[in-house]
Amino acid sequence: MLANAQTMALNCGVVLVFAVGMSGGVSVVAGAETDTDFFEKRIRPLLIDRCLSCHSAAKGKTSGGLALDTREGWAKGGDSGSPIVPGKPDESLLIRAVKYVADGPQMPPKEKGGKLSEAQIADLVEWVRRGAPDPRVATARLGGLTVEEARRWWAFQPLKQVEPPAVKDSAWPSTDIDRFILAQKEARGLSHLATADKRTLIRRATFDLTGLPPTPAEIETFLKDESAEAFAKLVDRLLASSAYGERWGRHWLDVARYADTAGDGADYPVREAGKYRNWVINSFNADQPYDEFLREQIAGDILAKSGPPEQYASRVTATGFLAIGKRYGYKPSPDYQHLDFADAIDSVGRSVLGLSLGCARCHDHKYDPVTAADYYALYGILQSSTWAFPGGEEQKRPVYFPPLVPADEATRLDQLKAAELARMDTEIGKLKSERATLDGKSFAGGVDLGFEGQPLGKPPAGVWLSAGPNSVIAEAQSPFVHTHSGGTRGVRLGSGQKTDGIRYVFEHGLRATPGKQMHFTIDFRTVAPTDKRGAYRFYLGRGVIASLAVECSVTATEFAIRDGAKWEIVRQLKPGTWHTLRLTLNPEKKTYSGIVGTAAAELTAFQDKQLAANWDGILDTFICDGIGHVEGPAPVRDLDNIGLMEIPFAAPGTGPVNPPVLSADAKEKLAKVELDLAALTTSRVAEVARMPYEVAYGVSEGTPVNARIQQRGEPDKLGDEVPRRFLEVLGGDAMPTNSTGSGRLELANWLTRPTNPLTARVFVNRVWQWHFGQGLVPTSSDFGTRGEAPSHPELLDWMTSQFVASGWKVKGLHRLILRSRTYQLASDDHAENLKLDPENRWLWRSSRRPLDAESIRDAMLAVSGRLDRSLAPPHPFPSVDTWGFTIHAPFHAVYDSNHRSIYLMVQRNRRHPFLALFDAADPNQSIAERQPTTTPTQSLFLMNSPFVHEQSVAFAQRLLAIEGDAATRVRLAFELAHGRIPSESDVADAVDFIAAYRDKLATQNIPLDQQSVAAWSAFARVLLTGNAFLYVD
Amino acid sequence: MNQNRRISRRKFLSTASGGFGAMALAGIVADEAQAASIDPLAARAGHFPARADRVIFLYSTGGVSQVDTFDHKPQLAADHGKSITASRWLNRPGQFQRFLIRPRWPFKQYGQSGTWVSDLFPQLGSVIDDVCVLNAMHCESDGHDKATLAAHTGSAQFARPSHGAWVSYGLGTANRNLPSFMVLAPAAPYAGAQTWGSDFLPACHQGTHVIPGIEPLPNLRPRVPSADLQQLELELLGKLNRRHMEHRAADAALDARVRSFETAFGMQREAPEAFDLSRETEATLKLYGLERGATQGFGWQCLVARRLAERGVRFLELIDVGSSNNWDSHGNMADHERLAKAIDTSIAGLLTDLKQRGMLDRTLVVWTSEFGRTPFHQDANHAGREHHNLVFSSWMAGGGVKGGIVHGRSDEYGILPTEAAVHTHDLHATMLHLLGIDHERLTYRHAGRDYRLTDVAGHVVTEILS
Repeated sequence: MLANAQTMALNCGVVLVFAVGMSGGVSVVAGAETDTDFFEKRIRPLLIDRCLSCHSAAKGKTSGGLALDTREGWAKGGDSGSPIVPGKPDESLLIRAVKYVADGPQMPPKEKGGKLSEAQIADLVEWVRRGAPDPRVATARLGGLTVEEARRWWAFQPLKQVEPPAVKDSAWPSTDIDRFILAQKEARGLSHLATADKRTLIRRATFDLTGLPPTPAEIETFLKDESAEAFAKLVDRLLASSAYGERWGRHWLDVARYADTAGDGADYPVREAGKYRNWVINSFNADQPYDEFLREQIAGDILAKSGPPEQYASRVTATGFLAIGKRYGYKPSPDYQHLDFADAIDSVGRSVLGLSLGCARCHDHKYDPVTAADYYALYGILQSSTWAFPGGEEQKRPVYFPPLVPADEATRLDQLKAAELARMDTEIGKLKSERATLDGKSFAGGVDLGFEGQPLGKPPAGVWLSAGPNSVIAEAQSPFVHTHSGGTRGVRLGSGQKTDGIRYVFEHGLRATPGKQMHFTIDFRTVAPTDKRGAYRFYLGRGVIASLAVECSVTATEFAIRDGAKWEIVRQLKPGTWHTLRLTLNPEKKTYSGIVGTAAAELTAFQDKQLAANWDGILDTFICDGIGHVEGPAPVRDLDNIGLMEIPFAAPGTGPVNPPVLSADAKEKLAKVELDLAALTTSRVAEVARMPYEVAYGVSEGTPVNARIQQRGEPDKLGDEVPRRFLEVLGGDAMPTNSTGSGRLELANWLTRPTNPLTARVFVNRVWQWHFGQGLVPTSSDFGTRGEAPSHPELLDWMTSQFVASGWKVKGLHRLILRSRTYQLASDDHAENLKLDPENRWLWRSSRRPLDAESIRDAMLAVSGRLDRSLAPPHPFPSVDTWGFTIHAPFHAVYDSNHRSIYLMVQRNRRHPFLALFDAADPNQSIAERQPTTTPTQSLFLMNSPFVHEQSVAFAQRLLAIEGDAATRVRLAFELAHGRIPSESDVADAVDFIAAYRDKLATQNIPLDQQSVAAWSAFARVLLTGNAFLYVD
Repeated sequence: MNQNRRISRRKFLSTASGGFGAMALAGIVADEAQAASIDPLAARAGHFPARADRVIFLYSTGGVSQVDTFDHKPQLAADHGKSITASRWLNRPGQFQRFLIRPRWPFKQYGQSGTWVSDLFPQLGSVIDDVCVLNAMHCESDGHDKATLAAHTGSAQFARPSHGAWVSYGLGTANRNLPSFMVLAPAAPYAGAQTWGSDFLPACHQGTHVIPGIEPLPNLRPRVPSADLQQLELELLGKLNRRHMEHRAADAALDARVRSFETAFGMQREAPEAFDLSRETEATLKLYGLERGATQGFGWQCLVARRLAERGVRFLELIDVGSSNNWDSHGNMADHERLAKAIDTSIAGLLTDLKQRGMLDRTLVVWTSEFGRTPFHQDANHAGREHHNLVFSSWMAGGGVKGGIVHGRSDEYGILPTEAAVHTHDLHATMLHLLGIDHERLTYRHAGRDYRLTDVAGHVVTEILS
């Protein structure tokens, strides 16, 4: 049946029509007229009389989960499955029950009148035998409403073409809006108020459109302009200022649940969030049509591909709207996406459609015409997209951020970057080997392979890898000096575990070169006494056992070498005695030789042993672990003086060796190499960090997929698959059959087509709310049945029609509203009107409004002269390579700035202290309306916060910098802060206050040069915290 | 106490605020005017002699299972796994075959009263003779937001003033230097700050949210060199605000802002002292399970609450956890243990401390959650429990309440009330009654109608009054 409805809607395009088909019953069994008669005469009355009192979905009584009042009801069945097998009375539980078969339910039960008559039972048997023909279909429902109810709900009806109503007092309205307002006022007996004076008006309009106070010069210009267009000109100027986008962009960011952090437990910073914020600001300033504004936020990346290249970046950035919500994931994994998507679906629903779609995650919406199938149809669209992952507890780095350049350009730039890195690596390699030949330190792989630089008592660190209880200690210093000239430490290792040990990867491995040999040396001893009988080994080769060259194996008493495939014991050892080993590899002959012993006179030599057959000729890794020629736990041993080089080591008994002495020329060369190397290394770090192109926090096209319904919202309880499509109640449009996209482009178009009754209405109502403090529909994100009805439905439809007809131009909508007399009314009290309409629902006056958080802060900065209007820089987040935030150590920062508050870093999980204190939007969900509070903690901020004190000092300095007496400065101060000329008693009080304050300061040993600023600051603070500052009439 | 600052304070009030109320009254239209008696926060007597001077309302967010805490159900344990027909499931009426799930923790009898308490609250058990357990609580909604709002405002549907705001409106404050209604909570419960909002009542009655931490209330320290300088400043501010209000008298928000400055001024001195636990003895800290120097945790909240109560704060609400990771144990009831552990000692400590100091007699302590949890589940082996609003447990202690009794009973499985059911409205009516307020007479005219905390319902539970 729903499929039927969908087709209807598709054909007709509007919601109004599609429900018509639902009201009539449709016979399910084709050509079964006699069946129908049979059902109507014998079965329907029987069911009503004897069954439906306990088994009716319509009555909300479904004993055992079974409904018998519709075909769907019994077909779906109850706890025991479907009771009717059409055509098979014997297999039907219903028939067994009414026959009172002993071992099952016996229906109807005794207390409900007991067993049916034999004739009734026979009728039921016959009915089932005929295939249980049943014309009763469920009343078509969409979530919480029947289709008919949904059709009638005001918000789903098409825009009504209305004319402004006739009014008695035809002289009063300035514009058509006023006629709608006046008609209601007249109907309710509300009296007129005068329009506001010009100072009030300019302050109201300036805060309203820009979030900033008017300057004295702007006030003067407006006052002097006595033309009829003065206010219209003012509005045009304000709409043209860049501050307009900063004010109205902020309104949208409330709805869009904007934050600069991800919102998972670790609250990862999102460096690219600010790009979306700036995009919103720019869109408002550029007067981008609202439908296009929305389309880009839903599908900007797709539109970008076919759009002008200069808009590519901005359109991709716009998709931040989807990505910017609260995130839940530890890593980019489908495990968490259902929650991310829940946020996105709910936010799109509230912000664009004024519908709480989120409620349909677990079940059909209880009150609104939204089904779980609707929800998962949209879910599939989101799931078919790739979402930028901001970083999280498990995967701590951002990934999948869409590039701001087209894909092929991104590939080209990626390749360029890779090539540049490769070039740098080659260059660095060259410089390092040059350094190695010059500095003498790289002798044998660096002095003692760096042991001497290791702290005592710790496992070797840095380029050494260590596993097990290994420790660099003084006792492990070898007594031999022929390789290195003495030393202070070696490494002691050995847990007995096979895989414990140490590993060293040479920065410059040796590579088999014709005519050259490779030389390796190590000093070692088994620590005595020992009861461990196993062996430890020395491994030489490439990588971690990637390509073995040579192995030696040592027990407490034996030294063995690998000769091809077999172990050969070379000599006996004494535990506790240091031995030195020297190996010489001949890659050409694939053999090696060596000596091992305790002193020059006591060496055992071995010759021409086979290197490992598969060795690839590269020697860059030394390992000592517990795997050797004898099984069992390896003893504890000391190692020291390890070296690898292409020239022979000195013989045992010679030495101590001295590092080569550098010539002056070599020193100079070396210094230059070091410099070049340092510079290049820095450049490489920068190149690695450099994004080859900019990216956005947004979405891109993924693999198209239909979602399955998640029963009760649990992603592991999957129900039927739902094709991607639009909301049933808004048409239910399916994806085009040839589509290969995610569906976001279609969604963007469905949302913004002019026949969609919600999108434009919802936005026009928001704009009204942001101008007047209350929407015509007070629940501006809920146009559903739990929301409030519009106070002026005709006005809402009329304005919406105008808005759509104008090409969805937002600035035009502002002009339409601000030109009205209603907007320009005074905010005065009126005793009679207050009684009739205390909440000003009927707009008999302008509602006084508290400045919101951003406006308070911005206005203080503006008045103090410290507001920074330059382009706000990105937030100084810690460098991405340092990110390791977790739930227990989440990201948290508060960044100071003198830019407008919209540019403050908005953290999702820990609110910005100022923004939270003054009731700014909570970024955890789409916010329709700020809820201002008045609290003593706010007053403490106004009295004692560093911010207010800084601004009052700056304001004082600004005042003190002008020529004139105290009274002149006081007058200017009032006009700057409150936009008004103070009365003479105000001036006198202020001047007295400043004098009295200075006197008090003088008695308190405050230095003379500070008294003036301190007293004027106190006065400034009074102005900045007074009600005339904090409220707009 | 610093005598000079006291005098300054009084002077500030007389000069800066003396006229506000009068002026506000003069201009405010009749319906809203009843709020603005001369001073909306001035201490007032109730309708009849009070049994308690203040309330400490302890709130556990998320829905605490009654059958695992205070409602002892041996039959439920015995019939574990048996199938029953429930009349409601996931907020839907109907007939649902469900399986009984036994309590997860054993119960013991405590005190002379022999009141049954589960092993989740052994410390509370040790002071149970001061506690009146309510085992047949119920409310309308089994959704968190609605039930939380109902528990706090009496209305599940619409924003209404919270209980603390009503009490502040009814009785004013005993200390003008502190807010009359304070909420000590690391995070907001479901429905957010609405739970302590004043809605249409004057904003001075809304709860002040204290977030446990090093600086529970920021900006408490004056930045000007001396108190008399700040006083000069506030005098001028008051004067300008008064002039500003001359033509705007109907706007209660303007007056609320003025009053919030007055409260803030007083808080500068009183609040830091109240939050300073350094002079509390080791014994006291131990009582609350608090480490010296700790600035958060429920123990901190309880001890600070006692100190604020001593200083005259009328209504204190303590919330243990916010709208996540709370008692909402759908998945696994084991979570209850961690949450109970975090509050058990502190609550017992609070009751003991109040008693030792002779304050319990005049302090009403209430504990509740928004609702309980189902003693049954769809799946016989499920480790969690769902929302259950048809019956749940709360308790009251102190100020005028009989200790060591259990009021109200549920059926053998803890599914429905069988005796002496107490609705959320009844709880509110009883709280107000103990404070000397007739819940039917504490009204406020708004938008053409008289509103009350208990809407059009509520009965004082006289059986539990001492």
